[in-house]
Amino acid sequence: MPEPTDIRSGLVCVGLNYKTTPVEVRERLAFPEAQVPLAVQQVRGLPGFEESVVLSTCNRVELYATHALPTGKEGHAALRQYLIERFELQPEHAEALVLYNLDSAEAARHLFRVVSGLDSMVLGETEIFGQVKSAYKVALDTGTTSRSLNKLFQQAFTVGKKVRNETTIQRGSTSVGSVAVDLAEKVHDLKECRVMLVGAGEMSRTCAQSLLSRGAKSIIVSNRSYDKAVELATEMKGRAMKFDEWEHALHEVDVIISSTSAPHFVIKPEQIDQVMRKRRWEPLLIIDIAVPRDVDPAVNNIEGVYLYDIDALQAIADEGRRERERQLASCERIIEEQLEKYGFLKSPGSGGLKLA
Amino acid sequence: MPPSLQLLLAATLVFVGAVVQALLALKAGAWKRARAQVMLMSLGFALQTGFIYLRGEEVRQCPIRSLPDILVFISWSVVLLYFLLGSSFRLSLLGLFTAPLVALMQGMAFMNGFAPYPPKGPINALVELHIALALISYAAFALACITGVMYLIQERMLKRHHIGGLFYQLPPIQGLAHAIQRTVRLGLLLLSIALGISFALHLPMTKTGHVVFAWIVWALYAVISLLMWKHFTSPRKTAWLAVIGFILPFISLWIVTHA
Repeated sequence: MPEPTDIRSGLVCVGLNYKTTPVEVRERLAFPEAQVPLAVQQVRGLPGFEESVVLSTCNRVELYATHALPTGKEGHAALRQYLIERFELQPEHAEALVLYNLDSAEAARHLFRVVSGLDSMVLGETEIFGQVKSAYKVALDTGTTSRSLNKLFQQAFTVGKKVRNETTIQRGSTSVGSVAVDLAEKVHDLKECRVMLVGAGEMSRTCAQSLLSRGAKSIIVSNRSYDKAVELATEMKGRAMKFDEWEHALHEVDVIISSTSAPHFVIKPEQIDQVMRKRRWEPLLIIDIAVPRDVDPAVNNIEGVYLYDIDALQAIADEGRRERERQLASCERIIEEQLEKYGFLKSPGSGGLKLA
Repeated sequence: MPPSLQLLLAATLVFVGAVVQALLALKAGAWKRARAQVMLMSLGFALQTGFIYLRGEEVRQCPIRSLPDILVFISWSVVLLYFLLGSSFRLSLLGLFTAPLVALMQGMAFMNGFAPYPPKGPINALVELHIALALISYAAFALACITGVMYLIQERMLKRHHIGGLFYQLPPIQGLAHAIQRTVRLGLLLLSIALGISFALHLPMTKTGHVVFAWIVWALYAVISLLMWKHFTSPRKTAWLAVIGFILPFISLWIVTHA
């Protein structure tokens, strides 16, 4: 049984995120990575402050600190003033600035939710865990954390792992791009996966980028406008192909992402049947994100071919989101249990989320 | 109940427990904690090994001469291969599919009952090796059958767009297809060695029914292996062959031991 923590009384968190603040304001208040070490020192250097951690991502800017000021309210005010001065906000912007001001248990609960991905734009996403770890490491290396924040952040990482291990909050895909990656992973070893883009629309670019970022081996881009194919292939370190040649390379790839603006089917069963023979029945994933569709649905009847159109991808992404939402209550319960375990809920008068 | 059978009963219950644990973990979405599964499979394997040792002491020879003993020995080999191949092929969930087959075979062994063996002359090491290798090869075919089932489930989910909990835990179908090929080849290699030994022993085919059946099984898996190697059929069909093919060695064991 861990001993009740003594973090409770002087802990504050002041911040803004994608829910409270539009991107035009968030981008103005973001700390560039290289300036975070200076920022943590500045916060700790504020009168009455003892420790600090600055978390700055594209979706949130949060200052975690401990202080010896008489009230939490004074701590919030000092941090708010720091942000206004640090980013030189005009009085009208400073007045319009919406921040959440959290104390003790609420601040800890918020950090636990953030680390667990419950406060993220994409519920349950795991990237934030690494971002909080990096923010904490910067503060630790700079020497602006001590016993209280060290303990709090270690507890937060434990809670984050517990939430991910004991629930399915991170399971399933919530976007078309991540669904494409999940499907490709269940058909092939991604590291050996060769991808072909037929048509260079925005959505196919997103899917291809998701696949490449997860380790896909190579990419071929074919588009009616050859220049655009070359541009996209260069950007993705792939190979461009003239539009009248893509059919000849079909047997060389494992994933086809099609998004042409053709009014008729461009990929037909008889073509794919030939391709599968040449591929010696190695499985082929076809992602058709064109509307009207590029791929004849009969292609899915060919053995070893797995065809997903935009509706199928969207349905999987929607189900992934619903599945995560169903897990939310379990995650919140784990966090409450951990707050209790670490002694945060024993503090009287831990207020709710306050917006200033 | 003799101590050997107590161990076997305990092993069977552990494998049933492994299935229940895996299903509950999958339902709760907590399959990542596969450690419990590996621990249960290890415990079951240790209990199986204990049974084989005690049974060998009871019958004063290698306990692979009656159908119940053969079923237990194959079960033991299946679990052994699960540990050897499951991790190297990165076949997540292989335990979930292995444990029910093992529990079923051991349950059948119990139903048949374990009778004492007739008195036996001096042990011929080559004969024992021939039988043991043949039975381990059957275990490899059993594992190919299990992997085939996994392939067919994953393939069906991909085709029908049923993307759920099991889908995320099963390995990629390409990996499963390769694993089927490798386990069939491994089984074929072991059975070839076992049959090679039978030549050295000058076992007459006409008088030793198990050798005849072993040759039939060998021919079947040689054809399956050739079809896979030359890509004459799709991986889905070869997965079906691996699943259905295992029926033959399974039936042959029953015929041979009851003849």
